[in-house]
Amino acid sequence: MARPPLDGIRITDFTWVWAGPYCTLQLAHLGADVIRIETRTRPCITRLLPPWPDRKPGGLNRSGYFNQYSQGKRSITLNFKDPEAHEVARRLIAKSDVVINNFAHGVMDKLGFGYDDLRKIKSDIIALSLTGYGDTGPYQDYVAYGPAQVPLSGLSALTGYRDWPPMHAGFSYADPNGGVHGAFAILTALYHRAKTGQGQYIDMSQWECAMDMLAEGILEYTMNGREPERIGNEDPLMAPHGIYRCVDRPEKVMGTVVDQFVAIAVAGDVEFGRFVAAIGKPQLGDDAKFATLKARKANEAELNRIVEEWTMTRTAVEVARVLQESGVAAAVVADNKFLSEEDPHLKDRNYFVYNEHPEIGALQHCGIPWKLSRTETSVRSAAPCIGQHTDEVLTQVLGYSASEVAKLRTQGALE
Amino acid sequence: MAGALSSLKIVEIGEMASAPYASKLMADMGAEVIKVERPGAGDPARVRGPFPGGQPHPEKSGLFLYLNSNKLGVTLDIARPEGFELLEKLVAQADVLIHNVWPPDMDRVGLNFERLAKVNPRLVMTSITPYGLTGPNRNLRAEDLTVWSAGGVCVLNGGGPAHPEMPPLKTFGHQSGYQGGVHGAVATMGAVMAQLRDGAGQHVDVSCQESLASQLELTFEYWPYMKLIATRLGTKPIQPLEAMQCKDGWIYVCCVEEHQWKSFVDVMGNPEWAGEEIFADRLKRAENWDALVVFLEEYLKDQTVLDLYKKVQARRVPFAPVSTMGDLLNSEHLKARGFFVEIAHPVAGTHKYPGAPLKYGATPWEIRLPAPTLGQHNSEIFGQRLGLTAARLDELKRTGVI
Repeated sequence: MARPPLDGIRITDFTWVWAGPYCTLQLAHLGADVIRIETRTRPCITRLLPPWPDRKPGGLNRSGYFNQYSQGKRSITLNFKDPEAHEVARRLIAKSDVVINNFAHGVMDKLGFGYDDLRKIKSDIIALSLTGYGDTGPYQDYVAYGPAQVPLSGLSALTGYRDWPPMHAGFSYADPNGGVHGAFAILTALYHRAKTGQGQYIDMSQWECAMDMLAEGILEYTMNGREPERIGNEDPLMAPHGIYRCVDRPEKVMGTVVDQFVAIAVAGDVEFGRFVAAIGKPQLGDDAKFATLKARKANEAELNRIVEEWTMTRTAVEVARVLQESGVAAAVVADNKFLSEEDPHLKDRNYFVYNEHPEIGALQHCGIPWKLSRTETSVRSAAPCIGQHTDEVLTQVLGYSASEVAKLRTQGALE
Repeated sequence: MAGALSSLKIVEIGEMASAPYASKLMADMGAEVIKVERPGAGDPARVRGPFPGGQPHPEKSGLFLYLNSNKLGVTLDIARPEGFELLEKLVAQADVLIHNVWPPDMDRVGLNFERLAKVNPRLVMTSITPYGLTGPNRNLRAEDLTVWSAGGVCVLNGGGPAHPEMPPLKTFGHQSGYQGGVHGAVATMGAVMAQLRDGAGQHVDVSCQESLASQLELTFEYWPYMKLIATRLGTKPIQPLEAMQCKDGWIYVCCVEEHQWKSFVDVMGNPEWAGEEIFADRLKRAENWDALVVFLEEYLKDQTVLDLYKKVQARRVPFAPVSTMGDLLNSEHLKARGFFVEIAHPVAGTHKYPGAPLKYGATPWEIRLPAPTLGQHNSEIFGQRLGLTAARLDELKRTGVI
């Protein structure tokens, strides 16, 4: 296999929490040397959050949240209260191709690492700032937290059961969405630099990236002046189209029954014929109430009751298998246990990675969602312990001597 | 200044969201994208809408127009040998092929990397498929709902612990397609960088399911680390983090840090109830949410969304409006940043669309062309560029190849 695409590209990574680390994770997946700048005085919040191995909280290196999104990166600790720490960061930036941060607007300027500063350190630097609202405009100083960005984006207004209030996405979707768009931007800027020698600054607003996922909703408004209604799991052009209850998981988890669901999407009349045959009710295919899409949409509630009567007595795995064998789109509504242990497909694709970590061993983490045929695609290492690579980076990359590093440590610059 | 990707040539065989979004990202940065549609019906996104006046029309579908601006459009039946031959000619002149042809259809028409690499050894071929090109689920049928479910995202959303009877809830739109698309664009650009370095192409296999499983926040690891299942029924460990109703709409009440709660209490005028021991910290506010919600509702019913939003943000509290589409289009912030763009289309008319996801300092994001009408560039591409005679074009059209 040839070297990974970004082998030799170095990234000074000032990011934390989720959007920024998700961005630099994509670049680490492509082989970049991502060096996270951290500080023990204010560690990344994800180092302090669950899940914890064996349900035992504690330490800065054991959180599943941090360990998932920091795979394949290096970590150095710097205490910017010490001017020497700034010098270390400057030397790192001088040896980097890209600098990425997701601090609030203005923080990098205050640290002395705004784009103009960075350009003085390295003239062709590519800099990306991931913020909630972007670097310009009247709300540029507004504070953005992951959960609030989903409703801000417009996604909540569009998502919800019929006649219910606006709802959430269930996770801070605008964070990883912003992060992965940021990674795309870095790659295009690297391409441009390879062609022209020119670096640049990129301003990313999570809010704007999220709205790019909502064009159908926005266009209903700009074309017709209408706010789209919330339609739950329905689809205007398919029925049945929904999520249906199946038998509960056979085992309890933490003493609790876990319910199970299957997603079914019947694309058209042909698929509806296959579907009713599969559930043993072929006569429904000729029933005037269900024979056409229009009829099925008009009688969707009744149709959904018929579907669920059938799914309720079966496992989600069985329903999905029977329908797929009949040529109908269906899937288990996968929870984390299903993905982790029960989905034979992800296992077969070697999606999960089990890199050895000094404090938690070789636990299962999500891997890379693509495979490249010619260049190496692998998660090179487990997430770093805090400051794990400080000495290595300072001596091998930045040319400090061991005694200089020891002095910096003694004076507190490497906290 | 030309776009960052203005020297890149892409052929897309894409339908609905995933591959079209991947190549849209690149087209908007200057790449040339030739979109190949099936003769007759074209991309099924053409029937999805929304449509001006609610009247379906294949050249007026909002989803299609959004995803395919800046692209040249040709029609080609790649299942026919003459059609595949033309595809090979297009690919011979391209740097990248991005497609989301369903794997059983790839097998049927012989669309595979080995075959196309013979025509163009530099080719980066990206296959964005629901489950990827290997593994037992490779050939499964899929729609956005089933992929969103298979990726482990859907299970997290729903009516919450108060409504276990409500099923997991799909997020609006074609999110699994978009995520397969943007992750596919990242992987493709990786392969393009390697192409630039090595002068050689490769095959990129992108799984939409894995693109979703890769972004489950902290929930996936709850199983390997703690043997806990994360679902829509989980309770919030801290509060308030809820969409709540004001006089004129909904606002997302969001206090994560203690200082944010204190500032919000201050904005509320330091009511007496806020001093109660049961609301003393974020964990207690979650435990006693049933009591807290009554007080908050009472306060919020007299507030207007925009006013409260600005008041708390002035104190650095991260509330946000639950934006309607109208709120987005009227936002002073988005206007100042010039987010929405007008695109004039010869058939669909002029409408506002979502604009640039990122603003680049040196290279532009720009709309150069509206989405193509079906087969709009057939003569330009097949005739002028590939050198087919007018008679040959007519024949291919008559026989349904283009």
